[in-house]
Amino acid sequence: MFDDGAPIYRQIADQIKAEIMNGSLEPGGKVMSTNQYAAFYQINPATAQKAFRELVDEGILYKQRGVGMFVAEDARERLAADFRERFFERVLAPLVREARQAGISLNDIIDYLNDQEGALR
Amino acid sequence: MAAFPNAQLPTRKYGLGFALSGEALKYFKYWILAAVLLSFLGPLVLSRSSDIDLSTWFYTANVAKWFTAFIGGGFIASLVPTMIAAGLTRRELSVAHGVFGLLWSAAIGVLVIAGLLVERAYYDAMGWAQGVQGDDSVIAIGSWGETAAFASVYPLMYLVYFAAGVVVGAASYRWEGTGWLILVPILPVVFSLDNAVYNTEPFGPAWAGVFGRFIDEWGTGLVLIGIAVVTLVLVVAAHRIIIDIPLRSKKA
Amino acid sequence: MSFAVTLRDVTLKYRDTDALADVNLDLEAGKIYGLLGRNGAGKTSLLSLIAAFRKPTAGEVFVDGEPVWENAPIVSRIALIREGGDFDDTETVKSTIETGQIRPAFDTEYALHLADRFELPLKKRIRELSRGKRSILAAICGLAARAELTMFDEVHLGMDAPTRDAFYKELLAEYMDRPHTVVLSTHLIDEVANYLESVVIVDRGRILRHEEVEVFQNMGATLTGPAAAVDELAASHDVLAEQQLGGTKSITVAAAVDPGTRERAAAAGIEIGPVGLQDLFIHLTEPNRKGA
Repeated sequence: MFDDGAPIYRQIADQIKAEIMNGSLEPGGKVMSTNQYAAFYQINPATAQKAFRELVDEGILYKQRGVGMFVAEDARERLAADFRERFFERVLAPLVREARQAGISLNDIIDYLNDQEGALR
Repeated sequence: MAAFPNAQLPTRKYGLGFALSGEALKYFKYWILAAVLLSFLGPLVLSRSSDIDLSTWFYTANVAKWFTAFIGGGFIASLVPTMIAAGLTRRELSVAHGVFGLLWSAAIGVLVIAGLLVERAYYDAMGWAQGVQGDDSVIAIGSWGETAAFASVYPLMYLVYFAAGVVVGAASYRWEGTGWLILVPILPVVFSLDNAVYNTEPFGPAWAGVFGRFIDEWGTGLVLIGIAVVTLVLVVAAHRIIIDIPLRSKKA
Repeated sequence: MSFAVTLRDVTLKYRDTDALADVNLDLEAGKIYGLLGRNGAGKTSLLSLIAAFRKPTAGEVFVDGEPVWENAPIVSRIALIREGGDFDDTETVKSTIETGQIRPAFDTEYALHLADRFELPLKKRIRELSRGKRSILAAICGLAARAELTMFDEVHLGMDAPTRDAFYKELLAEYMDRPHTVVLSTHLIDEVANYLESVVIVDRGRILRHEEVEVFQNMGATLTGPAAAVDELAASHDVLAEQQLGGTKSITVAAAVDPGTRERAAAAGIEIGPVGLQDLFIHLTEPNRKGA
């Protein structure tokens, strides 16, 4: 279920983020408890807790004492903004670097992207 | 081991002692029953061909001594790893085993006393003589009072054999391969004292009665005190061996 | 009420050889620990001391802040399950389970429920059980002890993969139901890695590492690429292992890769791969490796 590249708690945090982005977790909705996560993924509950703590720190989740964890109302906006911020650095930069090594010119890339944009419409 | 509800801490050592006694008696009930039947039916069969002048119970009582030593030693050797692994302390186990030894010796002792008395009535009714094999002739046990006195020594005898068995069993577990050698000093001492109580033929390995030549001159009172002292020494020795016994490592 | 464990300057000698030498170790209450080490490294000795199966030659062992040796209130709430269990072979499965009742907290009902689930024949004698069934019985006795410190020493040996999986699941469920301290000693590291919160590595009678499991996950990396470039990049790191195939070299380093290095690696065409706990363990306990 997990690849051993990143720590498991980060993979879980990323997965919850992905679920918020693709809509399977609604803003304001309740998230499974740490124990439920631990039992589902068969991991140490402390690991699940660490993922939750990170998401609370980022403002993606909030805790209601005695009730559970909920998705923040603005979680999707936050994640989208975050993604936008890191898109160029994380996704595009390595892509461009690899393309250069393969001898693909910047113009070729721009042309391709323009075509894709047209195809999607 | 025993079907008792969950033990509670301060008293579980005594509970275990009682449970072990119950288990052991239950486990060997058919053996005990067979010994009792054999002791009473044996002379009936033999009386067809010869006169009965020896007590069968005397032999049964003597077999029970070796059996008791075996129980004391065998149980401790198997209880040390299982019970310590189950969260019992060595001190608790030592006390529990002491309770077991007392109860076992008392139970078998009472059974043997009752057996000798019943046998006396039985022999009287059949017109047989209840005697034991002396050094060169059969010695009659004597009056009812003498029979009772003869029998009354057995609980103490079982206790000393039990204690001896525990020392040997615990030492064998503790010092793998060599621990059983502790048998060499213990067996002659216990066996010689045992033989000195009555002027009878030794029942067991004759060489082990080597100290008999010194002890035989003692009075019965002194011999009994000797047995009590040896019992005490054995109990202390068993306790000392058990209280810091390490569990053996598992063999892969 | 989970138990914490403290070892202070503990040495254990078997005749003349040191099984453990000057060990200091603190295990926090309520965590699941993995205990790793090669055969003969001292794992079993360590667990035997914590459970008061043995007495240290020197030093002190505390559990829940108290000396553990001959301490009935403490040892009655510690369970050390050794491979194959510490059973009387002549007993039946049922009475072996009932022996557990010597512990005030033992849960007989739970034990019988598990025995049923794992298809243990209650009336059979221990000596008639297969190795796998014996291991399962040992594991069940450990779970049902409901101890505050439960240690399983290679208890998975003899269990097949589905049984091991079911056992780990049950262990985790029991742990979440009733938090307590757990120590799992095993060779099948990758199988249990996700269950662990912390890992202790024992090597040649000493504690080699004791870290949170995430620390281990960040501890190593494998750099693979053109030999010269890999050598250059790895030069500043603690090298655990290296191997070469033609012009391609792969070096495993004992360090997390910082973003700067990551970028230089990417620029030089070097791929950075993760090192699993199992591989890391193999490298860390390599007999020819000096220092650690």
